[in-house]
Amino acid sequence: MRKQSLTKTMNPGVLFLINYAVPIIFIILIAFAIPLSGLSGIYFIRELMIRLSRNSFLILALLIPVMAGMGMNFSIVLGAMAGEIGLIFITDWQIIGISGMLLAILISTPIAVLLGYFAGIVLNRAKGREMVTGFMLAFFMNGIYQLFVLFGMGNIIPISNSSILLPRGYGIRNTINLLGIRQVLDKLIPLKIGDILIPVATFLVIATLCVFITWFRKTKLGQDMRTVGQDNEVARLSGINVESTRVLSIVISTVLACYGQILFLQNIGTMNTYQSHEQVGVFAIAALLVGGASVTKANIPNVFIGVILFHTMFVVAPRTGKALMGQAQLGEYFRVFVSYGVIAFSLALYAWRKRVEKENERKKIMNYRKSILAK
Amino acid sequence: MRKRIIIRTALVAALILIGIFLYAIGKEHKVVIDNRDISVGDIIYSASTTYVVWVDNQEIGVIKKGERNAAIAIGISHKIVVEEIKSNVLTGEKHEKRFRLKTNESATINIPAMINNANEWIDKTNDN
Repeated sequence: MRKQSLTKTMNPGVLFLINYAVPIIFIILIAFAIPLSGLSGIYFIRELMIRLSRNSFLILALLIPVMAGMGMNFSIVLGAMAGEIGLIFITDWQIIGISGMLLAILISTPIAVLLGYFAGIVLNRAKGREMVTGFMLAFFMNGIYQLFVLFGMGNIIPISNSSILLPRGYGIRNTINLLGIRQVLDKLIPLKIGDILIPVATFLVIATLCVFITWFRKTKLGQDMRTVGQDNEVARLSGINVESTRVLSIVISTVLACYGQILFLQNIGTMNTYQSHEQVGVFAIAALLVGGASVTKANIPNVFIGVILFHTMFVVAPRTGKALMGQAQLGEYFRVFVSYGVIAFSLALYAWRKRVEKENERKKIMNYRKSILAK
Repeated sequence: MRKRIIIRTALVAALILIGIFLYAIGKEHKVVIDNRDISVGDIIYSASTTYVVWVDNQEIGVIKKGERNAAIAIGISHKIVVEEIKSNVLTGEKHEKRFRLKTNESATINIPAMINNANEWIDKTNDN
């Protein structure tokens, strides 16, 4: 019996279902969960607006490494840590308002560049295994970050604001109050429609990043990255410095993640010093994959669709868990399970499709050779 | 090559200057406002009535005779406006003063000294 590759099927419906399996599953799940949660439409829209403004920047930071063939950049956690270091400094110096946020960005940028460069060098030595290496790198850097913040700050790096220091006199507290910069960007250009506050300035910043990414793709460096992403050898033969281009993509992604984390934390208003950055990578990547992206292809609509679908799950899961099982905590477990499950499913689907496509290519070459020999 | 180094050095210097500027204009200072008697040499300025206080156009509140309140002022240049209240009614008599604070300074302002234009109406202290 002749085996027919599902990825080469002529049926566009089946092809669509395979390519967008993850968002379709999510839409079905959400369609069941929203009525069960009992949440009002206004509450839902308000929450979605907040989550869109809070998370989109971080997820947009993932697009450039995908373009350069680095897969999903789990090491955006390093950028998040750089952003948090900037915020610790401005809190110590008591710089508030939009100046405080901009100063945090200014301070954390060189740190993010350094960390991104380091991550890029490491990922270059792990070609083909960038994602798992990035994942491990995030854990490793978490240890360095904790050493720096828990022992270095207050000891080697002077911290004058005792309200952020641990009682022992050095080390930063678990939670830092960011009241001074809380929602400074969100409320910079306020727009209220009924009960819904729309953070216009934040959305303008996100829109600027979208324009930047679209423009960047058309630049020489962007084209180089796309070439590197498609085939390293072809790029090398074209005269592109593959290693340096890959490092640059990670540096850009890390710096954008740094800014994204600052935007995220200014919206929340509180920083959990040792945990705020931990789930950044997983949740951002899960959201992007839920939006229909794959390991080799991701675009701006994937980001926003992903944020809407993934964070809708965040909003409705506790209430739905409570409605179904009587325990809101089950909704939380379900949400975490889904985050990791989505990544695993997407990666497995990608690996399966790659294997099938490779097999088909091999068969094509074999058939071509046979036809040449037959002549 | 030399031109590139000069441009990069200039960019770094500009970023540092922007950082210093952001630090200066974003630094918060504690300003304590006293409505108490104060003696300056041989002169005693007595607190006589209640005032409404604004610092940098933000209303701090009503400070009764013998009380004090605190405000957070952001940046370098500041303005304090006090308006007298008599019998729970604003008299319309306003007094305004401008002052500057360095990045590591906080201030204590005495209202009776301020409305009498005494030089010691403001006491600046170093936070370090």
